[in-house]
Order: sequence, then structure tokens, then C-alpha cells
Amino acid sequence: MRGRALLLAAGLAAALAYPLLVPNYLITVGMLIFFTAFIGQSWNIAGGFAGQTSFGHVVFFGTGAYTSTILQVTYGWNAWLSWPAAMAAGAAVGWMIAVLSFRAGLRGSYFALITLAFAEVFRIVSNSVPFTRGGLGMLIKADPRPENFQFRDPIWIYYLALLLCIVSILIAWQLTRSRFGARLVAIRENEDAARALGIDVFTEKVKVLTLSGAMCAAGGTFYVQKYLYIDPSIAFGVEKSVEMLLVSMVGGAGTIFGPLIGSVALTGINEITRWLAGVVPALKNVQPLSLIVYGIMLMLIVARLPDGLMGLFRRSAAKPEQRRA
Amino acid sequence: MKKQIGVSVSRRGFVAGSAAVAAGSLGFPTIGGAQPAPVKVGFIHPVTGFVAYNGQQARLGVAMAVDDVNKAGGIKSMGGAKIEPLLGDSQSKVEVGVAEVEKMNEQGVAAYIGCYQSPVGIAASQAAAKYNTPFLIDVGASDLIVNRGLKNVFRLKPGFGVCVDQGIAALGALNTAAGGVAKSAVIVHESGEFGTGTAKLLGGKLPSIGIQVKELIAHDNPTRNFDNIALRIRSLAPEIVMMSNYQNEYVLLARTLFQQKVNLAGMFSVLGGGFNYKFIKEMPDVSQFMMDTNHWFNPKSAKAQALKKRVEDGGNLFTFEVYLAYTNVAFLADSLERAGSADKEKLLAALASSTFKAELMPYGPTQFVNGQNQGARAAVMQSLKGDIEVIAPEEFASAKAVFPKPKFS
Repeated sequence: MRGRALLLAAGLAAALAYPLLVPNYLITVGMLIFFTAFIGQSWNIAGGFAGQTSFGHVVFFGTGAYTSTILQVTYGWNAWLSWPAAMAAGAAVGWMIAVLSFRAGLRGSYFALITLAFAEVFRIVSNSVPFTRGGLGMLIKADPRPENFQFRDPIWIYYLALLLCIVSILIAWQLTRSRFGARLVAIRENEDAARALGIDVFTEKVKVLTLSGAMCAAGGTFYVQKYLYIDPSIAFGVEKSVEMLLVSMVGGAGTIFGPLIGSVALTGINEITRWLAGVVPALKNVQPLSLIVYGIMLMLIVARLPDGLMGLFRRSAAKPEQRRA
Repeated sequence: MKKQIGVSVSRRGFVAGSAAVAAGSLGFPTIGGAQPAPVKVGFIHPVTGFVAYNGQQARLGVAMAVDDVNKAGGIKSMGGAKIEPLLGDSQSKVEVGVAEVEKMNEQGVAAYIGCYQSPVGIAASQAAAKYNTPFLIDVGASDLIVNRGLKNVFRLKPGFGVCVDQGIAALGALNTAAGGVAKSAVIVHESGEFGTGTAKLLGGKLPSIGIQVKELIAHDNPTRNFDNIALRIRSLAPEIVMMSNYQNEYVLLARTLFQQKVNLAGMFSVLGGGFNYKFIKEMPDVSQFMMDTNHWFNPKSAKAQALKKRVEDGGNLFTFEVYLAYTNVAFLADSLERAGSADKEKLLAALASSTFKAELMPYGPTQFVNGQNQGARAAVMQSLKGDIEVIAPEEFASAKAVFPKPKFS
């Protein structure tokens, strides 16, 4: 236990010191790792802990991104104030999808598909309505001042991403210690048995999707404040959903550190292979190298490590007799 | 024991050294002498992802242009400094494009050229603005790119607005000459920023030339079946179908309309992503009489024709990504030459005041206002007998337009 606390403290110290020691590019990579881990954790809370696998989590991400952008650009809100509003919108969408889906008794792959359908509907709507400026997208005026949630020095956006990641880990940690978390695990393991035990399955599932929606929407606002541009494909495209799902699955769904480990692994592979393709002459013409390695790694993890990299670490740390068991 | 610091100079060494210094001071090149530091330029294109072909074509243009500049002696006002290209893959993702900007900034680039997709270009040039580094948009049609007040962004090519205006004017002239056969149109566009923006502009302007828009039909990227859209077009019975989409969808839609024998007076696109030699050579029957307003080289330019031959001799197609990337490298080299330095302030001033002659392109005199070249113009083209002919502007025209096109028998 003490060893684990020491490891965490060392990890945190390294994460805090990291941007002070590396160039801006690597700070950006670090920021992407924590940001992806954060949105991955938002998926993990619903998909990993509660077993409500979603293929369309980007719907919350896009809702958050568009809400804060519209509030700023159209209504002149301050970016920081628009952030909680975006989270509230994400929570509302999460609540709505949960109520509609769970009331209809959708679960498992049916629930996964309905979330995908919701994301598609949101993408088409945002492409068509004038207040999102349709496919033209929305641009936030660049004015890099902290009060505008825009930073000239990438170190601050890195620390903000780190903070979000820490908060998401704390939420996940709290889930493992709380009755609410225990009820979610019970629902994940056997929904009918959980109901038989007196758990209000519907309410718990609505609560977790609302929480997950709020978190993911916070990620959407963070994204748009970093890149200052959003359009329907970026906001509601399937790519972000896959990214959230993948980091959790690769790292270990339903674990506290799974999304972070997955994000480090996948972002790291992407960056290393892109770097290799740039410097190794034999690889210069292998353009999709990172995608090839990405795919191979995914196949290996699905085939050999069904509980993700966290499962591998756990097995490595376990005593030999436990491993045999 | 202290190590002695210093070097002993032999008589032979002294003579050789003196000769080298003398040669250097007289301006003779010396073997192994100090070469001017290369000018690093970052090129960011989507060489993987759903527009990978276009990104790879842009890289081809970059490679040829950098090679030509360097073989011609580099940047002479900088002592013959060579251009050193740093190649980045945006993977068609905004985040990756921005990360490439950061990475290349660490490597000390003097300027960037990219990014093919407008959203990536918008975010990447924004990131470059933090470092006051010039960003040349080789391809990227959104007018948002140059309307942000960023001093580091330059676009030599025309944007949506200009292309649409030119396309509408050309279509209006053709229709008038043909006795006003076209009274209605259907616009089919990809649902992203590029297609929607163009479609919206077209929809607003077509009535000004007496053509009413019956419907705007959006489709996703990728879309692999256009049967339903073709049926919808048939039922709406417009005289004109206007298209604004990327390579694969453009070709598939055209092929489906051809297969279903949908009779139209013309198919017209503005910035049609698939109107290129690949399409025209592979499907001459399908493409016959189709028209497009797009970036195109000046067919009357000997230099453009020579570059086209080089590209085709190498087994590649002379698509717009190739010559726009090539032209932008030449534009940057010209500005570096005039700036006499890779200093960012000096380079920005040289770019902003540039009167660069874009020899390959059918452009007017270069003049930048808010980063947009006011002399930029598109060309209106038609596929005729398996080749692409320029039909407007008149001074660059290589053939006379066929409109309306013959009906299916």
C-alpha cells in the first residue's frame, strides 16, 4: 500500500516536472495524453465501471464543445463561465439518452448502437442548423489571455489537462470506494441479479451516464479552447468515440488507471512511429506506419490481454503462486 | 600533469589554411568550407487518412520544387542557403497537425506550408501564429483561414468566395449563350466545412443568373453508394447538377448519374475534388462534358507544361495539389530571396509585400490583403475527349465549351 502511494507520488512529481524539462512539442504530446486519458475516463466510468458500453460517447464531447463555443461566440460569454454550462448541457444530454434508452429496456449491444445513432443525429443536426453555422464550423477568436481560457505558453494548457486527468482519476477512485460504485459494478456483472438485490438499476444507470456526459462535455470545451475551431465532423465524428473507447480498452476498462495507461501507450506509439517514419530511411515511404502498429497492438491486446495493460501489470506484480492460481 | 591546450601548426598546414582563407575572402567555393545554414521549412499534409492521395500529391509538388530551388543555387541573397524540407503528416486530424507545428518549431523552421484540409489549416496556422512564423496555405479553400486577422497567414490561391463568383459568372455566360436552357439546379455536397460552405454560397448566388435551386443534398465522407441520391436527382429533374465534394465521392456520384442515364444540360462543380486527370483518364465517358471551376495551371505557360511533363514522365498525375504546393515553395523562396534572411519579421514583411509572379497559374498580379492574394483566380474547365480544357477566363482558354451536353440516347 505504502509502495503504491510512493509510486503515485513519484508519478505525479514526474508529471509536474515534465513540462519544465522538455520542449514545447513534447509538452503538447503530454497534454494530448492527459486530455485523451480524461475523455477516456469519462467513457470508462459508464462503459468500464457500469458496463454500459457506448459507441457514441462523442455526442457529449460535441455537445460540450458546441455549447461553450456558441455561448462565447454568439452570446459573448466568458470562456470560463461557458465551461460549467457546457458540462450541464453534457449532463442533460446524458440524462436524456439514458432515460430514453433505459426506459425502452435497451442494454448491451443495443445500447451501444443507440448511442452511435444519437451521435450521428447530433452530427447531422449540427450540420444543418444555422446556430452552429452548419458545416462551416465555428471559430473562437484567438486572444491568448488566461482570462479567456487561452494560453500563449503551452505549459498552462498542459497543467490544465493534467488537472482534469487527476480529477477524473479521483472520481474513478471514489467510485471504487462508494456504494454508488459498488451498485454500478453489480449492474455490470449481472443486471438482473442487481435488481433482485434491490438496486434501482434504471436510476443508477441514468446517474452514471449523466455524470459521464458532464465529464466528456468538459473535455469538449477543453478541446475547443485549445484548437479554437469546431465543426460537426470534429465535434460528433466517430473518431473521438473510438479514441475514448480504445484508450480504456487498451489500458483496462473498469480500472482507475486504465484510460491513462491506454492513452500513454496509444499516443506514445503514434508519436514514436511518426518519428520513426521521419528519420528511418527505410520507413520513409511507409506512410501509415503508426496505423499498422496501432492495429497490430490492438489485435494483440484483444487476443492476449482481454483486461488490458492494467491486467498485465497486475499479473506481473502478483506473487508466483497467485499467478498460477 | 596538465594537458597542453593548443595546436601546433606545420608549415604545410599554414600554407593550406592561408590559401583557404584567401579563397573564401575572394568568394570562391571551398571544399569542406562553411556552407550557409539551410532554411528549414515545415510541410504539413495529410499523407494518411481519407485524403491521403491528395496529401501525397502535395508532397510530390514540394519535393520537386525544393529540388529545383536547391539545384538552382538555393537562396542566393543568403549565400546560396538550401531549403531543407521537414515533412509532417497531419493524418487528417486537427490535433496532429498542431502537434506537427510544435515539433517543427522546435526544429527551427522559418515557415510552414500546408495543410490541404481547412480545419487543419485553421488550427495549425493559429499555432504557428504563437511563434510569429509564416504559414502559407497551399490548399485550403475556407475563407475563415484568412479572415482572422492573423499576420502570419498567406494564401496565394483563391478561396471559396472568389471561386464561387467566378464559377457562377461562367455558368451564367454559358447559359445565356445557350438561350437559357438551364432553369434549375440540384447541389450535391459533402457535409463537411468545404462542401457545405461552397454549397451555401452557390445556393445563394445561382438565382442571380436565373437558375433556381431545387434542393441541396448533403452526403457523408465517405459515401460509397449514390444510387438513392441519383434517383432523387432524377425525380427532381433539374437541368444542372452542381457538385462540391472530395475525390472518391465526386467520381462515384458522376459514375452513378452516368450509369442511370440521368439527362442533364450540364454537370458543374466549384472546387470539385475529383475533377482531375485521374478521373478524366480513367473514365473518359463518364467525365465527358463535365465542368469544374477549380485551381488549374495556366495551359499557355511553357513552365507549367514542362512541369506537367516531368510529373507525368515520373508516372504521376499533374493534379492541383502538385502545382499549388510547387508554386507555394517558389513563392516562399522568392520571399526569402527578397528578405535576405530567415528572420521571421523580415520574412513576414517580404511575404506581405510580395508581387511574386506565379508563372504556373492563371493569376493576376500578386497583392496580399489580410493574407489573401487579390490576384488569385480559378479556371473554368471542361472534360472534352479524354482531356481537360480550360474554357474560361478567355485569355487562358484552350477550347470552346460544349453546353448543353448531348442527351443520352
